[in-house]
Amino acid sequence: MSTTLLQELHQETRRLYIAGSDLAAGDFRLKRLLPQFRQLGERSAVFKRLGEGIAALVEPADAAEPSAVKLQELALLLESVLYTQGATAPDGEPGPIAANPVNAGTTLSYRRLAPIREALTTTGGGRYEIVVEAFKEGAFQDLRLLPLAIRALDDPYSEIADYAAATLLPSYGPGIAGLLAAQLDLQGGKSEVRKLKVIGAAGGSGWKELLFTAAKEGKEAIRTTAMEFLAGDAEALPHLLEWSRESRSSIRKAAYAALAAGGSQEGEDRIMEAFGGKDREAAAEAVAGMVSTALADRLTTLFHQELLKVEITPKDAKESEKLWSKLQPFIIALRASDSPELLEAYRYVLRNFQLFAPVGSSSLVNRAAGYVEENGTFEDLPILQELELQHVVYAHQHFHLARRLLAPAELYQRFTGSQLDVLKSLGSKKKVHREQVLLGAIEVLVLRREWTQVERIWEGSGLQHSAEYIMPSEEELGTWDPRWLDWLLARGSLKLVSAFARPGQPKAQHFLLQHLNSLEQRDRNEMVPILLQGLERTGMPLDERLEQLVLLLEQEKKYYRPYDFDRYLFGMLLELPASYAGRIEALLPRYQYDARKQLEYVLQQLKAKS
Amino acid sequence: MPDITTTYVDSLAPNSAAAKNGQNLVRKNSFAELHRSESGDLLFGQCAGSGKQPYSCSADFIAPEKPVFRCSCPSRQFPCKHALGLLYAYAEGREFTVADVPEDISAKREKAEKREENKAKQEESGAESKPKKVNKSALRKKMLAQLEGLDQLEKLALALVRGGLAAVDAGRMKELKGYVKELGNYYLPGAQNELRRLLILLAEGEASEEGYSYLMEQLTVIHALIRKGRTHLNARLEDPELALDPESTIDEWLGHAWQLSELKAFGRVKNDVELIQLAFYSYNDLAREEFVDEGYWLDLGSADIHKTVSYRPYKAAKHMREEDSFFDVAQIASLYVYPGDMNTRVRYEEMAIRSAGAEDYLAIAGAAHRSYTDAVKKVKQQLKTPLGDKRPVLLLHAASVGVTESGEYAATDSEGQSIVLEDIYPLAEGSVELLPFLPEGVLRECALLVMFHHHPDNNRLIAQPLTVFKDGQAYRLLY
Repeated sequence: MSTTLLQELHQETRRLYIAGSDLAAGDFRLKRLLPQFRQLGERSAVFKRLGEGIAALVEPADAAEPSAVKLQELALLLESVLYTQGATAPDGEPGPIAANPVNAGTTLSYRRLAPIREALTTTGGGRYEIVVEAFKEGAFQDLRLLPLAIRALDDPYSEIADYAAATLLPSYGPGIAGLLAAQLDLQGGKSEVRKLKVIGAAGGSGWKELLFTAAKEGKEAIRTTAMEFLAGDAEALPHLLEWSRESRSSIRKAAYAALAAGGSQEGEDRIMEAFGGKDREAAAEAVAGMVSTALADRLTTLFHQELLKVEITPKDAKESEKLWSKLQPFIIALRASDSPELLEAYRYVLRNFQLFAPVGSSSLVNRAAGYVEENGTFEDLPILQELELQHVVYAHQHFHLARRLLAPAELYQRFTGSQLDVLKSLGSKKKVHREQVLLGAIEVLVLRREWTQVERIWEGSGLQHSAEYIMPSEEELGTWDPRWLDWLLARGSLKLVSAFARPGQPKAQHFLLQHLNSLEQRDRNEMVPILLQGLERTGMPLDERLEQLVLLLEQEKKYYRPYDFDRYLFGMLLELPASYAGRIEALLPRYQYDARKQLEYVLQQLKAKS
Repeated sequence: MPDITTTYVDSLAPNSAAAKNGQNLVRKNSFAELHRSESGDLLFGQCAGSGKQPYSCSADFIAPEKPVFRCSCPSRQFPCKHALGLLYAYAEGREFTVADVPEDISAKREKAEKREENKAKQEESGAESKPKKVNKSALRKKMLAQLEGLDQLEKLALALVRGGLAAVDAGRMKELKGYVKELGNYYLPGAQNELRRLLILLAEGEASEEGYSYLMEQLTVIHALIRKGRTHLNARLEDPELALDPESTIDEWLGHAWQLSELKAFGRVKNDVELIQLAFYSYNDLAREEFVDEGYWLDLGSADIHKTVSYRPYKAAKHMREEDSFFDVAQIASLYVYPGDMNTRVRYEEMAIRSAGAEDYLAIAGAAHRSYTDAVKKVKQQLKTPLGDKRPVLLLHAASVGVTESGEYAATDSEGQSIVLEDIYPLAEGSVELLPFLPEGVLRECALLVMFHHHPDNNRLIAQPLTVFKDGQAYRLLY
């Protein structure tokens, strides 16, 4: 049977469907096919019928059926015939499939798999959580998700794409590198960069050749990514040196970074050369935080030399800016380094406060003070004390260094006692400012604010994220002079009095209670949990504290109305005795959102207790 | 009582959200009371809800193969999250105290027992349940309306063909949509769906050659439906009983939804059948405006491949059970078989479960066609029928599955005959790209479940692999 002829007829009928069967009468292209069908029709009934169908269409007899019916009839017959003619043979001899077995089965059911598939093939909110959850449950061990995990590198929501590159794909093991390498397009965009990252991270040394090619021939972002993985490779060194002289700064930076990470002598020479010339800023950004000790020493020496060259205070903003642009790269590059030489360089800055104060709008001095605070010794206490006199904000660094070096009593003495004389000369405005700085410095040390996760048991599932203050432990408080509590009381610091509170201090308890009931609305969300924790620390019994909390919720006007109760308060509410059930129930209508749900949960528990 | 495991409860849940909600209730400790009956065939409890009164829910296993779930909540989901939560609590090993069966439940049990008794009595007495009385004059009227509807549809289709598909513009589309709605007045939901499908193709088939081929095919399907439908309806009108045709699919094409009692009346019931699911998938049928859950099953006795189809209309989808992949063997006392082609649709009311074993996988391998020439012949036979199912599903034995230089995958039988494996248009989700990830050796001497599709433009018959079976393992490429 002549399939080509049938195909041709199919095309012609399709054309008539598009153009309309009204145009069929006398259609010469159909007519042209007619003789062949007639000829074949002599031997085959099917062709005969098709031939008749064509004839009826192009040479309509009068009063016959409308052309549309004839076209439909012809097409129906033709399609039936064509259905029997479908070719099944492939276009060549099938050879073995280049297998990439990933050691995964297909165990997930539709209900488990479909939502993950949907999350990875559509757009919209909430997809990231589904993917992360699925990975944690091991769902990605189902091989049906592998192609989707690869495609996720292209996901418009970059968190998903990054998660795929950092977590999903490497979890398949080194084998994944081969799979990705086969589809890698060196001239491609972000998703190709992510593929290269997975290959570099998961693939191991077997893929050096590919990384080389990528670093040489790829698009800009591909090149810079490939260079990351070539650091430390001896063969790559001459190329990296060459690339560090290219005109595009992103390429130069990637090369500098790889040279610094590689740690070779030639590489470090090249970076020093860049610091000596015009490319200082680019080199600094590239190597920031990852310079070797040897390179750090060389950079420190150069830094100190440049500091020594500064002889007069910059006259105006422009000059100061210029000087800063020369010095800042050293700070950036040496961000993670420390050495006695570097300490000496920063001491020099502090000793010459007047000279350097305007540089980078005091950024240079700030950095120097910060470094000395972290790394200084007894020798530095007078330097920071002197600095504090120049400007009270540096009381912060001074206090921290002193806290690290001095005994508790000495520390207390140094900042509350002996300085008094000095402060008298400071004037009251400055004195208040200094106390504020000190309160801040203490708070940073004793009150950490941390993100915590609490299970939302009142909803049955999910996690609640909130920032909470972590109170110092008793042990930690033991390292502070007990007199601080009175000093803090005198300065009315709610947070720190709560933190330093201890049993047997009625003054502190009174102070906290008083403030608990007179807090400003805007401070309550932050302060109520702190004050109640403070009261606990003063040794106030649980039942009294519970009563205080419930009273706060019951206030006639301006009652305490948080969006949700944090972990501490919710924990307290769960401690309520059953007798509170009625009072909590009465409160419910006042609350909305999570707070409402939490109170409902508490009420449920209270009822269960009774 | 069946073994209540988390997986068992999952399978009872109407959808994954209900399962999750049920589990949350357990985690929230919402169950104030958890009890079981002395004999252990009833679990019941009190669960806190949003109202003041807790809901009382229960799971009754007095008939283990037909558990009954009761709950005082107003949810339309069945079983509701409270009943599911009760079962999850049991599966997790929470403490259930022994208590007396509540009065209302024992009353309900009694009633159910009586019903069963009555039924049994009726069956015993041999009195076939009285055939439902059919209001023949109403039915006749309905069929006349259907004929009129077919005339309307024909007019519309012919007008489209006469004017040409290229002439359909936005205005005309709007008009056509109006006709779809109007066709609803003629009791022809099946025909209405096909017209809607045509419009969907028209809207998306932006002038590509392939798109027009599918449009042309859809028009000829409508043409065949009108012709065959008209003959069928006329024949039925002449029959004094106005009976349905139990051998052809035409009634379903016109929109008849077969009832199990009708199938039974025509003797379309197989007894004591064991089915194993070969593949499952779910799709959104825009033309029907329904979600469709489709399962393909092997009848372990007869080696027929059946399909289960459950439709979830958009509007009711939330309250209906979403089917899921099924990995065990379903033992079915009465399996109702619809009229159809190669993969006849089946339904059942009750089933028992046994886990699948090596012999079941041997049966799957044994049911696979070894000669592709025969298989293709069978497929083509079905495809050429104008209203035949255009997506036949078959099991093929493959000596090997390979790939050509140009990247075409193909399965080859022991005689060296090959069939191209490719993702097909009627299935929304691809599977061929998964072949290289299968474990080493799986693609030799294996059984493939494939769905065939005829590609009208390049005139090729291709198959998409749905599942690969090898050595007692199923690699499901869809679900």
